[in-house]
Amino acid sequence: MPELFPLSPVHYVAAPLLAAFLLPLVAKLSRSFIKILPGLTFLYVLYVSAVLYPQALQAPIIEQIAGWAPPLGINLYYGPMAGLFASLFSALGFIVWLYSLTQMKQEPLDRFYILLMMLVAGATGMVLTGDIFNLFVFMEITAISAYSLTAFLREDDKAEAGFKYILIGSLASAFVLLGIAILYSYTGTLNLADLALNMDKVPLSVRVIVFGLFLVGFGIEAEIFPLNGWAPDAYSAAPAPVSALFAGITVKAALYALARVTILLFPFAGSMALISILGLVTLVISELAALHQKNLFRMLAYSSMGQVGLAIAALGLFTAEGVYAALFAMINHAIVKGMLFLTVFAMAGGSATLDGLNGMGRKKPILSLLFTLGAFAIIGLPPFSGFWSKLSVLTAMGQTGNYAMIAIVLATTIVEAAYFLRATGRLYLSEGNPAEGKTPLSAIAALAVLAAGILWIGFFPGSIDETLTAGAQDLLDTAKYTEGVLKD
Amino acid sequence: MDITGIPFFLAVSFGGAFLAYLMNFAHRFLRNAVVLLTVSASAALLFWLGDETFSMEMGGFVLTLGKTPYSLFFAGIVALLAVPTVLFSFTYMAKEERPAMYYLNLLITIAAMYGILFSLDLLSLFIFWEIMTWSSFLLTIHKGGNATKAGVKYFLYSAAGAYAILFSVVILYNMSGSLLIEDVARSFVLQNPLMQLMLAGTLLFGFSVKAGLMPMHGWAPDAYAESPAPFTALFSGALSKMGIFGMGMVLYQIFLQSPFSLPVRELLAWAGGITSALATLRAIQQTDAKRLLAYSSVAQLGYIVMGLALGTPLSMMAALFITLLHGVFKAMLFFAVGAVYFRTGLTDLNELRGLIRRMPVSFLTVLMAIISLANIPPLGGFVGKWLLYESLIQSDHYFLVIVAFFSSTASFLYVYRLIFSIFLGQEEKEFEHVKEVPFLTMQLPMLALAAVTFITGIFPGIVLAPISSALTYLGFPIQHDMWSMSMLFNEWGNRMNLLAMISVIGTVFLTGFTILYFYRMRRTRYVTTKDIHTSGEVPTENENLTYAINFYQPFERAAHPVLSKSIRAWIDWIGRSVSELGDFLRHIYTGDGQTYAWYVVLFLTFMLAAGSWIL
Repeated sequence: MPELFPLSPVHYVAAPLLAAFLLPLVAKLSRSFIKILPGLTFLYVLYVSAVLYPQALQAPIIEQIAGWAPPLGINLYYGPMAGLFASLFSALGFIVWLYSLTQMKQEPLDRFYILLMMLVAGATGMVLTGDIFNLFVFMEITAISAYSLTAFLREDDKAEAGFKYILIGSLASAFVLLGIAILYSYTGTLNLADLALNMDKVPLSVRVIVFGLFLVGFGIEAEIFPLNGWAPDAYSAAPAPVSALFAGITVKAALYALARVTILLFPFAGSMALISILGLVTLVISELAALHQKNLFRMLAYSSMGQVGLAIAALGLFTAEGVYAALFAMINHAIVKGMLFLTVFAMAGGSATLDGLNGMGRKKPILSLLFTLGAFAIIGLPPFSGFWSKLSVLTAMGQTGNYAMIAIVLATTIVEAAYFLRATGRLYLSEGNPAEGKTPLSAIAALAVLAAGILWIGFFPGSIDETLTAGAQDLLDTAKYTEGVLKD
Repeated sequence: MDITGIPFFLAVSFGGAFLAYLMNFAHRFLRNAVVLLTVSASAALLFWLGDETFSMEMGGFVLTLGKTPYSLFFAGIVALLAVPTVLFSFTYMAKEERPAMYYLNLLITIAAMYGILFSLDLLSLFIFWEIMTWSSFLLTIHKGGNATKAGVKYFLYSAAGAYAILFSVVILYNMSGSLLIEDVARSFVLQNPLMQLMLAGTLLFGFSVKAGLMPMHGWAPDAYAESPAPFTALFSGALSKMGIFGMGMVLYQIFLQSPFSLPVRELLAWAGGITSALATLRAIQQTDAKRLLAYSSVAQLGYIVMGLALGTPLSMMAALFITLLHGVFKAMLFFAVGAVYFRTGLTDLNELRGLIRRMPVSFLTVLMAIISLANIPPLGGFVGKWLLYESLIQSDHYFLVIVAFFSSTASFLYVYRLIFSIFLGQEEKEFEHVKEVPFLTMQLPMLALAAVTFITGIFPGIVLAPISSALTYLGFPIQHDMWSMSMLFNEWGNRMNLLAMISVIGTVFLTGFTILYFYRMRRTRYVTTKDIHTSGEVPTENENLTYAINFYQPFERAAHPVLSKSIRAWIDWIGRSVSELGDFLRHIYTGDGQTYAWYVVLFLTFMLAAGSWIL
């Protein structure tokens, strides 16, 4: 089978892009294809993951595009970390598709699914590519589909949110592009591995400037404070399945890019400490801002920013444990926040307010239970996945002796608990009538998969230990990365 | 799986919870059977629990479970209260909504308490601690309405405590490389004293929140008042004792060698004393039966902390004895108040009155419980207070004796209000239909616990034996000349024979009863209602002349200077300030795209400026 049809990391990007391209054509044949094709695409990509990821854990797969060897050609680097993210993105894409099957009714559906697949393809491309300009291109693909999806519902406030996103997002693109141009002018190369070896050609002051540009550029997409102004609007304007993907995919891809670029090109102690501090600031401010939100999607958006801040704070330690914890926090957040967005949407529709949750425990008991599970998991209560991710963050901070960081993270967790439990408590107010409308099976199935993930990681945290350890090593071992890419 | 092992024990306890949840879809009798079977099976298994420890790896941490004599004593309290609690729930909760969730969370809470007690390492203790917290949170909010607010408050206080614990646990783990309590204790003594103080301080703070020690008691009145009555019995009786368990562990297994140990314990003893005095004053003010009991619980926990912190063998014995006894009589009180609520729908002391002939068993329960609470012989409470006073005097804490004596005497006021307002006074027409609660599910748990207070009053040795082995485990030398089965001794050579005392009291009581019966009470004497307030007018038959409203107004005026300042209000103020800060920070996100663009540009400028400055 592999002989006949060799699987390659390229398929991660190629398959969704091809499907997105074909979708308008097959839609002419039958409208039902619109719904089926994305699912098949994501299934195929998941199959690619199932085959390739175990191989990547042994040795990274380095794919040369069109046979041009790096540093001249573009290469894909499919190591344990990229593999982890690519698999996570495909899985989330599939789950969101499953959920959208019945929950997404807003036409035009073909465009929705095209944008959805482009979003996933772009984000996956960002984590796979070994070329910094290619990274920029994929970032643009992701961002442009994200802008359009934000304004997908065609209402005034949604369009406004989309416009704000474009405004800030194009600043991000401009800064990243500027940084790439500066680096290229000094080193004459765009390959990340090659750049890493040639960074000594760049004067220190220029390196600092370029780092600043990258930090702001990727930081905008990674929702670092104070660059995340677009996020609450975009999250609450976009259809909930898209918000789930924003939390699970776009942020994570940008964070990956930031981490990879920082570690390869700017490994100064100062840059890492700075990232850690920015993460903490983001965490504290976002969690506090969430405290007063009445709009549930905005609340989840702030919470999302806070969770990303937590991951960034752990990432900034740049120790094996720190990166491990950051990866764990990202995976946990992708699953849990995805579930929360989807549950809230299924429960209360697109404009859910805190009051809209009142008495849901009687109307929609299963969804209420899922929301409770999600809230507990995101706060970090055992025995759910969030506990282990938060614990790993704390122990990583403990190992570097940053006891003040531990205290800050724990204090914000109390704030987090305050607003999540206030929402949970509303579910069980005795209001409203029991049994009101059924949630479609596909939505329940999608949520059940995510809930199972939360419980599985909660009870068997050891099961993803190998994955995370390999991912952390992959990110930190720059020598292995550059040698692997440039071995020819 | 070894059926005497702790894994099997916990599997039964947790497994029963989920089985009961599933059985709810079959039939409620089946569900009730599973619930009852689960708690009785785990109570029975306690007796056969083997000595082996059990380790497993989870998420890169080694979790170790095992029993100690100290934990076994607390597990006994949990088991003793868990069985009556579920029994009492069957009828009480039959009218309430979502019974499946209730039993699921109740059994998880019970199982998590066992888990806490049988944890030999700090992480599994924390895991079970949090499981207990969220399941009891879900139980607290079960009724909806005000309960939701009370529950969230409970959770936030608990979270503050739990994360203080986690903070210490992470640092201790980092220092000693192990989570086992004994390993942690060994590397703890090598740290510098200030570090020791901080770590033990945060741990003690964390555990004291669950025990409701002032100033972190603010959650207790609301949470106890709003949670369903059968669960409140367990909540106040057993769950809050987990804080005591943790504090004892920290004080005597980890912190003992530190130079700061003595001052911290002295401070804690004072905190306990002040808690008991202030909470007693608050309890006297309450007009809601459950809130009254809630403050009373806080006060009683204060006594326990006092004894625990003094750290003499006798005071530890007193603390653990009151821990058990308080669990028993507070459960009786919450059951009885629950029974009254079950029949009348009221817990307001201003509205209830004259139920003695309608609900005699509940009356008897309350009577027995308050005799125990007020530490009057011959019931069990007396023994605890005796031991506590003696230990306070022996360790020269005369001022604390005064505090303890003050609050114990003042507690007469609120227990009298409780029993008078509900059961005594003129009978009301509106309560004519009220019947006593069903025997098997509601009277039996109350009477069984009443029997416990009686037996422990005569034979405290039954309880003092496990307490002695628990204390020996903690490193306290318990000589056998301090107690025997039904006798208490002190170091001055006095001894108190409880068997003789019960004989005397019993004889006097019986004689008096016989005399009264034959000479005075042969027929009911009706007295005419006369009251000076009627100014000579003859009141109608149903006019109420015994008011229980503003029962202690003179007292409240006297205590006003103390009670006008509320620690809870301060903590609430902190909460409000954080919330206002959040509201202020929310305005950073103006909703204006141009502002956001400015943020980006300013941030970049700042970064570059900072970068060039550093270079």
